[in-house]
Amino acid sequence: MFEVIILVLSLIISLIIVIKAADVFVDSIVEIGLALGISEIILGVTASAVGTSLPEFGSAMIAILTGSPDVGVGCAIGANVWNIAGILGISAIFAGLITTQSQEVRRDGLMAFLTTLTITTALFLIGEITFVVGIVLIIMYVVYLWILIRAQKSSKSKDREMECCEADKNLALNKKTILMTILGLFGLAIGCRAIVYSTVELSIMASIPEVLAGILLAFGTTAPEFFTVLTSAKKGLNSLAIGTVFGSNIFNILIGLGIPSLFVTIPVEPITIYFDAPVMVFMTLLLLFLIKRGMKLTRVEGIILVASYIIYIVTRLTIFS
Amino acid sequence: MYDKILLTTMGEYMDEIIEHTLNLIQGEAEVICIYVVETSVPFLTPKKVKEMMIDELTAKGKDILEDMSKGFDKPGITFRGLMVEGNPADEIVKTATDEEVDVIVMGTGKSIVDKHLLGSVSEKVVHSAPCTILLVRTAN
Repeated sequence: MFEVIILVLSLIISLIIVIKAADVFVDSIVEIGLALGISEIILGVTASAVGTSLPEFGSAMIAILTGSPDVGVGCAIGANVWNIAGILGISAIFAGLITTQSQEVRRDGLMAFLTTLTITTALFLIGEITFVVGIVLIIMYVVYLWILIRAQKSSKSKDREMECCEADKNLALNKKTILMTILGLFGLAIGCRAIVYSTVELSIMASIPEVLAGILLAFGTTAPEFFTVLTSAKKGLNSLAIGTVFGSNIFNILIGLGIPSLFVTIPVEPITIYFDAPVMVFMTLLLLFLIKRGMKLTRVEGIILVASYIIYIVTRLTIFS
Repeated sequence: MYDKILLTTMGEYMDEIIEHTLNLIQGEAEVICIYVVETSVPFLTPKKVKEMMIDELTAKGKDILEDMSKGFDKPGITFRGLMVEGNPADEIVKTATDEEVDVIVMGTGKSIVDKHLLGSVSEKVVHSAPCTILLVRTAN
């Protein structure tokens, strides 16, 4: 019992360390980028896409590279299902209404769907995530990033006020920034290692499969998404709420599984191929269907999403555990 | 009767709020419209996201204050837009006290569910306001 308490505590503390380290890392990287003269648009788009997803990426990467690929795959797919059905559902229930624009749904929603469809099809055909699949996923992400940057550029060129300020934001590269980047990276690596260790040990003690442990771990690694989406929905920043979910889901698969597969072929359990991945596709489609009807997500639709998640997780814990 | 009016808005039901405020004015008056950028976020929200939220809310506030100023572009009315950061209820009460306004005009009309899930700024202001309050029943 004492060991379980220590592991749970270690899991919670390392999650907080990872989330805060990701924050420090992204901040410092943006400062370094600005000092090196990289466009603020490119940095802004990348930072916002990567910012909230680093805990999932780090945990999946470390898990896959340290011999627990099931935890990594479970974390990436589990995070995607939870982001849509859990986080967005709960946020819609609290905010009462989350509106969106057709342009965002067409670009980010379609990309999120294509992402889930690509990985699910690859898993059905190959049964694992190989180097070639990884390359395809990364190319897809680069293309998506290019589309995002292009869209951002065209919207910024319309805003003369913002454009005139861009020149002032070049910062000098200082030692503190470099030190913070290293510290952030160090915190991410140590924290993610501790997360994976605690999760694997807890799954052994509770006699649950590692994939399921990864799916449950996603509750913790998606904490930044949860607070971002809930807070922005409550403040009426609807684009940020929906954009965070789509952006995170695209990143979790294309980069979260794409990058590790360049180093090692990722084996995937049949239950993930035939149940978890199709559920991820279904949840993405369900969200798109609900949103497309009136370009909004109501409280009732939020309840439908959360109910779908409860059905999924109960089925996963009981029938397919 | 009311020479100095504090108007609060989050950008919803502006027409109703403007209409009720204009009804209060007899002769000359100063209208201060306050938009509060709520800066509080939960502990684990990424710093970059918080900055992005503040930027978006500030831009939204500027648009709202500009729209509001058009609604009060009438003879005898002096309009002043005010954008502050912080907790909405606290900032409204603080501004009303500092500016020594005669009346606060704000919208109300959230459902019971919304009040429980989102909280109600008007309810908080009612308990600690230093002056009269006009709560405009909005379309909700």
